[in-house]
Amino acid sequence: MSGRYRKPAAVAAAAFALMLVVLVAVLGIGGGDEPATGSAVAKGAARTTQMQIAKLEAAARQRPDDADSFVMLAAALLQSVRETGDVSAYDRADRAIARALKLDPSNAGAHGERGILRLARHDFSGALSDGRRARKLTPGLVAPLGVVVDANIELGRYQEAERVLQRMVDLKPNLSSYSRVAYYRELQGDLDGASVALALAASAGGAAPENVAFVQVLMGNIELAQGRFPQAKRAFDAALARFDEYPAANAGLANLDAAQGRLGPAIERMKRVVERLPTVGYIITLGELQLADGREQEGRRTLELVAATQQLLGAAGVNTDAEIAIYEADHGDPKQAVKLARSSWSSAPSVRSADALGWALTRAGMAREGLAYGRRALRLGSRDSSFLFHAGMSAKAAGRPKEAERLLRSALSANPAFSPLHARTARKALEDL
Amino acid sequence: MSARRCVLVALVLLLTAASAALLPGSAAAHPLGNFTVNRLDVVKVSQDRVEVRWILDQAEIPTFQERDRPQASVLAAKRAEALRGLQLRIDGRRVELQARGPGTIELLPGQGGLKTTRVELLLSASRSPGAGEVTLRDATFDGRLGWRGMIPIAGEGVDVTSSLPAEEPTRRLRRYPQELLSSPADQREITLEVKPGSGALTAPRAEGGGVEVTGGGGAGRSADGFAGLFDDAASGQGVLILLMLAAFAWGALHALSPGHGKAMVAAYLVGARGTARHAVILGGIVTVTHTIGVFALGVVTLALSQYLLPEDLYPWLNLTAGLLVLVVGGLVLRARLRGREAGHTHGGHSHAHGGHAHDHADAHDHGAHNHTGHGEHSHRHGHSHEEEHHHDHSKHGHSHVPDSLRPRELVAAGASAGLIPCPSALVVLLGAVSQQKIALGLLLIVTFSLGLAATLTVLGLAVVYARGLSSRWRAHGNASRVLAAAPAVSAMVIVVVGFVLTARAIPDIM
Repeated sequence: MSGRYRKPAAVAAAAFALMLVVLVAVLGIGGGDEPATGSAVAKGAARTTQMQIAKLEAAARQRPDDADSFVMLAAALLQSVRETGDVSAYDRADRAIARALKLDPSNAGAHGERGILRLARHDFSGALSDGRRARKLTPGLVAPLGVVVDANIELGRYQEAERVLQRMVDLKPNLSSYSRVAYYRELQGDLDGASVALALAASAGGAAPENVAFVQVLMGNIELAQGRFPQAKRAFDAALARFDEYPAANAGLANLDAAQGRLGPAIERMKRVVERLPTVGYIITLGELQLADGREQEGRRTLELVAATQQLLGAAGVNTDAEIAIYEADHGDPKQAVKLARSSWSSAPSVRSADALGWALTRAGMAREGLAYGRRALRLGSRDSSFLFHAGMSAKAAGRPKEAERLLRSALSANPAFSPLHARTARKALEDL
Repeated sequence: MSARRCVLVALVLLLTAASAALLPGSAAAHPLGNFTVNRLDVVKVSQDRVEVRWILDQAEIPTFQERDRPQASVLAAKRAEALRGLQLRIDGRRVELQARGPGTIELLPGQGGLKTTRVELLLSASRSPGAGEVTLRDATFDGRLGWRGMIPIAGEGVDVTSSLPAEEPTRRLRRYPQELLSSPADQREITLEVKPGSGALTAPRAEGGGVEVTGGGGAGRSADGFAGLFDDAASGQGVLILLMLAAFAWGALHALSPGHGKAMVAAYLVGARGTARHAVILGGIVTVTHTIGVFALGVVTLALSQYLLPEDLYPWLNLTAGLLVLVVGGLVLRARLRGREAGHTHGGHSHAHGGHAHDHADAHDHGAHNHTGHGEHSHRHGHSHEEEHHHDHSKHGHSHVPDSLRPRELVAAGASAGLIPCPSALVVLLGAVSQQKIALGLLLIVTFSLGLAATLTVLGLAVVYARGLSSRWRAHGNASRVLAAAPAVSAMVIVVVGFVLTARAIPDIM
C-alpha cells in the first residue's frame, strides 16, 4: 500500500498548491453585489447627485420590477456625467434604461432618457426616434421635446427644430427650453437674443445646480465671443460659485485669460482642467494655448493625448465627431480629417459638420469644395468666429480674396482673440490679401 | 431566495475557480473610464504600529500623460502625493506616515495598446500600545475621477472596530464591479477603534446594516455572499434544511465532476472486487477524510493569511503550482516511456508501469480539475489502469490489486478520494469561520462530504451488483490495447499544463 501512495507526495503538494491558488482567488473575489458605501465627501453639488444615485439604486433594488425606478436612476446617472465628465456612467445609464424598457416597453420616460443618452453618444437619428416615441406614448411630457429639438439641430433639420422648440417653450418656459432657444439663436447669429434667453433660463432655475452653472458658462462664452470680458468673467465666476471646480467654467476663464493676452495663467488653469478631466475638447484647448505661447514641444506633447484618446475610442468603436475632424485638420492628418468629416456630414448634416468638412477639405488641398461647405456652415447666419475663420481661409485658398477678406474681418471683429492660435493666422492672412 | 442564492454561490465558485486557473491576471478595462485614477488604502493596526498599504491603479490616459518620465520619477511623485494626501491621526493627534521602502510601480497593458500604471506603497507610523483611536483620511488625487476604497485589517494583539466595511470588491483594484445598481466607491476617511485583543475585526457589513466580526486576525476577507448565506441559515430552520440539501446535492454532483476521476476509480475498484459492505465503508471513509482535509487546509490558510496578504501569496503559489505540475508531468512521462520499453522487452512486467499510472492519475486529476477539464481523459485512463491490473495481478505476487480487497487498501482508496478536498467546500468553511458560525460550516461540509460519498457508494454498489457484466467487459482486448497508449499521452498533457501554468505565473512575479 505504501508503495502505491509513496509517489503521490509530490502530486499532493502540487494539488495543495493549486488548491490554495484557487482558494485565494475565490476568497479574493468577495461579494459582488456590494454597493458603494462610504462617506461621500464629494464636492458640492456633484455630491447631491451622487447621493441621489445611491438612493435611487437602493430604491431600484427594493423594487426591481418597477420600470420607473430604473428610469429615474438613468436620469440621475446622465446628470452625473454632465457634472463629473465620468462617461462610464453612460454605460450604467444604458443598462438601467434597457432594464426599464424590458419591464415596460412603452415607458415614455425610458424612451426619453434613451434619447438623451443617444444624443450624448452622437446617435442623432436614434435619439430623434426615441424622442418622438416618448412624445407619442405620453403626449403630456415636455422633456422628450428637448430630445427632438436637439436631434433635429444636430441632423441639420433646423425648420423642424424651430417648430418643435416653439411648442416646447410655449408649453414649458423653463431652463431646458430657454437654453435651447439660446442655442438656436446663437446658431443664427443672434447673440443678443441668445443672451436674453440664457438670462431667462438661469432665472428659471434647474433641477440640479449644475444645470444653472452650465447656462452661466454659456452666457460667459457668448459675452467672451463679443469681446465683453468683464461680463464674461462675471458669468464664469458665478458658475464656479454655484459648482465648485466646474471644468467648463474653468475652461471659460482660461479662454478669457488667453483672449486678454495672458497666456501663462491661461495655460496653468487649463492644465488643471485637463488634469482633472482630460476630455478631447479641453486637451485641444490646452495644446493650442501652449502652441500659441511658443511652447511648441509642450503643445505637441499635449496634443498627442488626443491621438491616445482616439486610440482608446477606436478600441471601443468609431468616433466620427466634427471636433476630431477639425483637430486632425489643424494638427494631424488632413486626409484623415476629410474622411472623418465626410462621415460626420453624412450622418449628421448640421452646420457644425459642414464647418468641419469644409475646413478638412481646404487643409487637404481641396479648397473649392471646402469653401462650398464653409458657406453651408454659415447659411443660418452664424457669427461663430471659427466658422468664419475656416470659411475665410478656404476662400483665400480657393482664390476668392474679396470673400476671404470679408469673412476673416468678421471673424476678427467680434472677438479679435477668438483663438490664441488661429486669430494670429487670420490676421496674417488678412495682411497677405 | 436562499436556495437561489445558494445555487448562485455554487455557480460563482465553480466559474471563479475555473477562470482563476485559466486566465492570467488580465487587466480589465476600467469601467470608470480611461482617465480615472483609482486608489485603495488597506489600513492595518497592530499593537505598536499602523500600516497603510496604498494601492494606485491609474488608467490609460493619465499613464499616457506620464509617458516620457522614467518610472522611478513617476513612483517618487506618487510617493510624494501619498505622503501629502494621507493624513493619519492617532488619538486625535496628527502623526506623519513614513514610507517603508520605495514601493513598486508597474506598467500593465491596457486598452487600445496603451498602458496603465499600478503603484503599491507601504507606509507606517508607530503607536503606543493600548486602546486608542486611529483615523486615516486619504486626500490623494482629490478631484480626480476614480474608485476610492479603504478597508481595515486587525493586526496582532488588538481588536479593531472599523467605521468602514472590511470587504472591497475590486480584488485590490484589479477588477471593478460592473453591477448596474452600485456606484463606484468613494471612501475618504476611516476610523478604527483599537483595544488590546486577539486580532478580531468588527466592521459594518458592506450591504445594508449589520455588523460583521472577522476573527483570528485574518485579513477580513469573508465573501459577502457567504455572509448573507449564513445569516439566512441562522434565521430559519427551513432555510437550514434547504442549505443542507443543496450542500448534499452539490457534493453528490461534484463527485461526478472531472476532478474526481480518481474517486471514481476507487469506487470502481471496490465494486470490482469488494462487497456491498466495502462500498458503504468506502463512503464513510471518504466523508471523514474529506472533512478532515477541508479542516486541515482551512487552518493552514488562516495561518498563512496572518503573515501575508493573499494576493502577495497568489503569484508565488501560481508559480509553485505550475513548476510542481511540470516536474511531476516530466517524471511521469519519463517513467511512462521507460515502462513502455520495459513492457516490450520483458513481456508482462508492467508493475512499475502500473504504479506510475496511478501516480499519473492523481496528477492528471488535478490538472483536469483545476485547469482544463480533461475529465473524460482521466476516466478512460482510470479504466486502462484497471485493465492492466486485471491482466497482471495473477502473475505478480505484489500486484496493486489483490484478489480480495484488504482493509488497508480500502482505507487508502477512500482517503485518496477524500483527502484532497474540493476548494469550494473549503471556502464554505472559511466563510463560516469568519462569520463565527463554525458549527453551521462544519455541518454543511459534512453534508457536502456525505453527498460526495453517496455518489461513490452508489457507484460502488452498482458495480458490485453488475459484476457479471464487468467480466464480459474485460474481454474487450482491443479496447485495452488502444487504451494502453493513453498514459503516455496524458503524461504529455500534464507537462503541457504545467508549462502553461508556469509561463502564466512568471509575469506576475517579475
